[in-house]
Amino acid sequence: MITARGLRKRYGATVAVDDLSFEVRPGVVTGFLGPNGAGKSTTMRLMLDLDHGEGEARFDGRRFREIKDPMNEIGAVLEAKAFHPTRTARNHLRMLAAANRIPDSRVDEVLEIVGLSDVKKNKPKGFSLGMAQRLGLAQALLGDPKVLILDEPANGLDPHGIHWLRDVLKSLAAQGRTVFVSSHLLAEMALMADELVVIGRGKMIYNGAMSEFVQTFTKQNVIVRTPSAETFVEALRREGAEVDIRPDGSLLISGLETPAVGELAYREGVMLHELATHSASLEQAFISATGASEEYIARDIAEVLGSAPISDDGPGTNETPRGTA
Amino acid sequence: MSDALRYEWVRIRTLRSTYWLTGLGIVITAGIAFIIALVTRNDPMTPVIVSNVLLGGGEFATFIPIFMAIMGVLATGHEYRYGIIQPTLTAVPQRSRLLTAKLIVVSAVTLAVVAVSLLINTVIGTVFWGELPDLGLDPLNEVIPGYFVMVLLWAILGVALAQLFRGVPTAIVVLLVTPLIVESLITGLATIPALDWLVPVVKFLPFTAGSRLIATGSFDTGPDGPDFELFDRWVSGGVFAGFIAIILAVAWYRFQTRDA
Repeated sequence: MITARGLRKRYGATVAVDDLSFEVRPGVVTGFLGPNGAGKSTTMRLMLDLDHGEGEARFDGRRFREIKDPMNEIGAVLEAKAFHPTRTARNHLRMLAAANRIPDSRVDEVLEIVGLSDVKKNKPKGFSLGMAQRLGLAQALLGDPKVLILDEPANGLDPHGIHWLRDVLKSLAAQGRTVFVSSHLLAEMALMADELVVIGRGKMIYNGAMSEFVQTFTKQNVIVRTPSAETFVEALRREGAEVDIRPDGSLLISGLETPAVGELAYREGVMLHELATHSASLEQAFISATGASEEYIARDIAEVLGSAPISDDGPGTNETPRGTA
Repeated sequence: MSDALRYEWVRIRTLRSTYWLTGLGIVITAGIAFIIALVTRNDPMTPVIVSNVLLGGGEFATFIPIFMAIMGVLATGHEYRYGIIQPTLTAVPQRSRLLTAKLIVVSAVTLAVVAVSLLINTVIGTVFWGELPDLGLDPLNEVIPGYFVMVLLWAILGVALAQLFRGVPTAIVVLLVTPLIVESLITGLATIPALDWLVPVVKFLPFTAGSRLIATGSFDTGPDGPDFELFDRWVSGGVFAGFIAIILAVAWYRFQTRDA
């Protein structure tokens, strides 16, 4: 269990991390989300006593610097390419292992786990970002720790690597370990994390279950296609629903649950060609939750170029068909 | 502490530059010792000649001090140059222990290199002299320990400078520019009568003072040069050590209080 209380970090007049308190529970993967510059890496550095700030993070009640042989309890990787370019991958891990009384046999074991056995005697200066990430994960796993803290571990991994990482982290969490992982790959986080800590401009936005986050920060809609759109819109509005008619003729309904829409169509004798739940994605929820707290805001390219957008479909939407009536 | 020492011992042994720096230092010094022994083979075996051979250049023996200082620079400088300080501090979070371990291991390797170099150079000299030199003679009885102390101080200075500047290039520039340019310039200017107010400063120049640790005679400024009134060997060594202690103290404090 990680307990962070009142974490705060200032750089001159800028508050990078502002009174963050949260808990990371064992047995689940906890995702750490926030826009660029939100303070995710700084928070992790504060937790590991790499940076000086206010507040404290405790790992089962102890500060990081109080733990003897910390790699045996906490595996942490904050930088992918934090190694000497001419020291072999194996020697890099042997060096860190030596500080924590971890035998060389474990070094070979973790290199095997992350799939770097064949290049363990190579100099890592030629490693791709993906290979460097694997070496970083091997470093985190060296002491077979109960707690993992990883900053953007999926960065640079190919799709197979991301899939593999997801499986590894989920299985480590399933073993009862505490896994705290930051990522800007929201789709990946949606598949990987059970719990979320979401920050913006250093402030806490959300700490809780992933499913609740999506529900809290998005509105669920119902999509309907019907040849009797005009009749059905009137019926829906009588029931208090808000209805938007989309360019393709389908109806986007809010204020009524999907079963209620189906029942209304049945009662009104309206034929439906499609009845679907328009589920919000983590990406939509993330944008909704952090939109006001982005540190660096880019302008819309269409606005810059003065042209209309090619498609009006929002990103990351997920329509779940519920059948037709 | 033993954990930090194990880390540092593996770190220094798995770095190719360690072998280059120690190997080249010993080989070049041995080469200079061989040349001096060869050209002075018909001269009487004076303490000055013995010192020149054993140290590989006597008072101008600079290769091993500089190479060991660079090894010290790499001990702390590489941590920042390649971002290794983060994994290092997640393996050894106690910063004072880490810096102490670096100083101990670098010092131990330095003393071993000086000992090996002296041994090799003694063998080279003995081949020409036909007998072992008497190291108990004055000033050899002080020059040899002074050599150990001087090289050790250079190595510690390397560790301290790279920790202070959190990188390799600035530390190496300071190591080379200060003695070769800054101190040479001040010493040279002090010989000009109009700038004689610089004369009392010279004995406090750290590298000039440090070089007195291996001196076999007085500091020669020529027949018309001023008398710098340099301190004796061990007080001069104290000036050099004091300078390094100040840099190390500032570096240590900054390491404790700054973000990694």
